[in-house]
Amino acid sequence: MIESYISYLIRQPIVCIAVFITIVPIALIFIRKAYINPIFLILLIYLLIKFSLDLIMFHYAANRSNNIIFESLIVLIRYTFLSSIFCFQLENKHFKRIITLTIITFIIFSIWDFFSINESISSSHDHKEFLYSTTVECLLMICWIMVYFYETIRSLKIPNLLSYPFFWLCSGMLIYYSSIVFLTPFFHYTFKWNGGMDLGFFIYVPSISESISMIFISIGIWFFSAKNYAKQ
Amino acid sequence: MQNNDELKLALLIATMAMVIMAFFVIMFVMYYQKKKFEEEKKISEIEKNHSRRLLDTALNSEETERRRIAQDLHDDIGTMLSLTKLSLNQLNKIIGETGEKEDQILRKTQSLVEETILHVRRITRDLVPTTLERFGLAEAIDEFILKLEEGNNLIISFKFNAEEQELPRQGAKIELTLYRIMQELVNNAIKHANCTKIEINLNVNEKFIGLRVTDNGIGFDPEQIKISNLAGLGLLGIESRLAIVNGTVQYSKATSGGSSAFAQIPVVVVTDSKPEPLHPFRRERVNI
Repeated sequence: MIESYISYLIRQPIVCIAVFITIVPIALIFIRKAYINPIFLILLIYLLIKFSLDLIMFHYAANRSNNIIFESLIVLIRYTFLSSIFCFQLENKHFKRIITLTIITFIIFSIWDFFSINESISSSHDHKEFLYSTTVECLLMICWIMVYFYETIRSLKIPNLLSYPFFWLCSGMLIYYSSIVFLTPFFHYTFKWNGGMDLGFFIYVPSISESISMIFISIGIWFFSAKNYAKQ
Repeated sequence: MQNNDELKLALLIATMAMVIMAFFVIMFVMYYQKKKFEEEKKISEIEKNHSRRLLDTALNSEETERRRIAQDLHDDIGTMLSLTKLSLNQLNKIIGETGEKEDQILRKTQSLVEETILHVRRITRDLVPTTLERFGLAEAIDEFILKLEEGNNLIISFKFNAEEQELPRQGAKIELTLYRIMQELVNNAIKHANCTKIEINLNVNEKFIGLRVTDNGIGFDPEQIKISNLAGLGLLGIESRLAIVNGTVQYSKATSGGSSAFAQIPVVVVTDSKPEPLHPFRRERVNI
């Protein structure tokens, strides 16, 4: 068992880094006591779920078993948690309402997407690796990040953005989603468990951008001060 | 195969463009925010300077008006009263030969006039602290204490701690500001604190002049006053005067009971300009 893990680690180091780098922001949330803030609490729950699913996927991948169902599940969880963070952070009530509506719609859409795209549910080897919902998720998240940036510029409430945790979180998410937004629809048509087009380095782009975004998120958490938050 | 390579190139360009755009957006937000903050800072600085100038003008007008009233009292009413006293003296000589009753009324009138002259002098001095202009802050405070102790059962002590033996002279504006603040704080202590002892301390060093007024009265909670907006015109006046000279004030509960107020003003290098004339209205200034 361990041999297969080590073998997978050696074969796919970039993918494995993207899995295990999630420990850094989780640890930082505990060290900086960032969980007292509801935004970071949601982020912590998401990261814990994501890390658990990533570990399961790592296990299956190491044993060359099909794990595509988790890939589809993680999209649903990711959008639900990350967009709900914006519900707390955005000040505009209309946007908050819209985000809540999109979460509900997105859940329904992803379920529909999963069942309608994959012709045979029982045959997981023929499942598509990237669903339409991934592209929709990217577009929606980029939209909420832009709305947040617009609100930040308009309100002028943050004196120093470089030391503001949520700005780093948004920057990390923006880099992640903008780097995969063009790739996901393409992957949708090319990737299946049973092979597809050879895209070389491109198959690692989501993992690389995920690792970079995790570094940005970790920097944001590092800037969180429980003392200052209590004063607010 | 060629199509595959073209596709990869297109994907690479699209992905790179999106990542660069994301970085550009992040940089733009940071730059724009910084620029906006600098603009806001400049505007608030201009507003602050403007309100400071307005306050300065208002306080200067107040001082000028005080001088004008003092001048009028001194030159007109004072002179008239002195003349009345002289006339009464002359009348006294004439009446002294005729009757006792008239003499009594005259003496009473004379004493009333003398008392009025003393009152006018006191009011004039209160309006314009001439001792402050002539001899400086320490002497002016000493004189102020002396006058207060005359009519009250109060013990007022004054100490100054300067690096030199004598308290060095400061700019006219700073001296006047400190004097008026000291007056306000001592008057407040007498009016509201129900105290028997007041201590005035003046500390001067290279950077700051600190004035502390401590009393042993009933005291007050400075935080409560800030929250409930109970600060009266006196305390607001102190803050306004200090704002002009970049000073600060802190109120606290004294350890021995009562309350303590500490005003601090940065030392400004005194220019060689002559002190203001005692009666400036005698010299007409022409501003071009």
